[in-house]
Amino acid sequence: MDKKSSPVADGRTEAVGLWKTFATSVVAIVIGLACLLQATAGGNAFTTETLRRTEVADAPSQVPDLAIRDAAGHRSTLRELLAGGERVWIVDFVYTRCQTVCTTLGSVFQQLQQQIRQRGLEGRVGLLSVSFDPANDTAESLRAYLDRMQMDPAIWHLVSLDSPLDRRELLDAFGIMVIPAPLGEFEHNAALHLVTGRGMLVRILDYDDAALALETALAAVP
Amino acid sequence: MNRIGWQRSSSWIGLALCGLGCALSVPPWRSLIEQSMVWHMVIQMPMLVGGGWLLAGSGIQAPKMQRFADWNRFGLTGFIASQLIAAYWMLPLAIDRAVVLPRTDVFKLVSLLACGALLKASFGRSPAVLQLFFVGYAVSMLSAAGVFLASTDRRLCNAYSLDSQWNAGSSVVALGVALGCAWAWRLVRDTRRAQARPQARH
Repeated sequence: MDKKSSPVADGRTEAVGLWKTFATSVVAIVIGLACLLQATAGGNAFTTETLRRTEVADAPSQVPDLAIRDAAGHRSTLRELLAGGERVWIVDFVYTRCQTVCTTLGSVFQQLQQQIRQRGLEGRVGLLSVSFDPANDTAESLRAYLDRMQMDPAIWHLVSLDSPLDRRELLDAFGIMVIPAPLGEFEHNAALHLVTGRGMLVRILDYDDAALALETALAAVP
Repeated sequence: MNRIGWQRSSSWIGLALCGLGCALSVPPWRSLIEQSMVWHMVIQMPMLVGGGWLLAGSGIQAPKMQRFADWNRFGLTGFIASQLIAAYWMLPLAIDRAVVLPRTDVFKLVSLLACGALLKASFGRSPAVLQLFFVGYAVSMLSAAGVFLASTDRRLCNAYSLDSQWNAGSSVVALGVALGCAWAWRLVRDTRRAQARPQARH
């Protein structure tokens, strides 16, 4: 027997189809928006950089205790260095051959060094530059960088990783991504990292917010 | 080319696009998408969407697929889902994650192929005005994101250099405009064909 569709049945099928589509669309919107909100920390972070800053501000993390060496060839560990005195450290990451962003970071640190000296904050805030290129940054290159930046050893420390094998762990712990650039240079996300004497990474701020970084560091001093 | 011939070759092209798109996530070709945002955003991603579209095109008429028609009246569900997938992959942090985390990259491959398939399933069922709404939205989203990528001095993706980002930005704008033009051309062509066809009813 042939099934003949009546206009009423057609109308009902049409309505059921519309409701199904409506319901599925709503489900798709809810799932899609939930994914987008989850990925962007509730709509607050659209870039990896903002996300890492938001995450660190919400939940400070412990920095790894990696072996380091300074320009004089002295070996110690990152946490030993940070634990010297009740200081909060403003940390940046560099490589001494850098001609681009590290130069800007260098002059930001020079200004900070001057302010720390003028305001007599040596015992409360320290500056630390960490080289993530231990293969090239020998004691000699570190010394040359130190002289070029006119670092005051009472305020500003410069160290490199002792072993190139620790590079990944260091960069991951701070959320730094280093990519190769032309002429043997690197490009990396540069910022000011606030680390307490206990080795807790508490805030990450823009490098053009040096004044804010200094005030935030002072507020974090125990 | 007749319809069956076109369907057969389009499924081969679809398969090739899927294969090439996925191959770009595997070494040694992976270095292309790791080093260039243009390869990642403007070549691989559209390749996957295109591959999904063409492959779905060859299977969409199958009776099994018709069962889902009720859930996608006027192509609405497919449009919304594909738009959300596209929006996710415009996020700089999602692009970074796909470069760094292999599992996110796999999710990217699957979701963008699905995005293409959903678009194909939706276009055939939707009236031109609904297409205009979604295509218009997609073109404006691509153009706005592209202009922003090309004009800002901030590196939005930690995985790519600023130069790469600027290049990707202008290419994304071009992609958006090309998509808009392709849709308009298709609409004009279909309208002309419909007018040329002899009237069935008197």
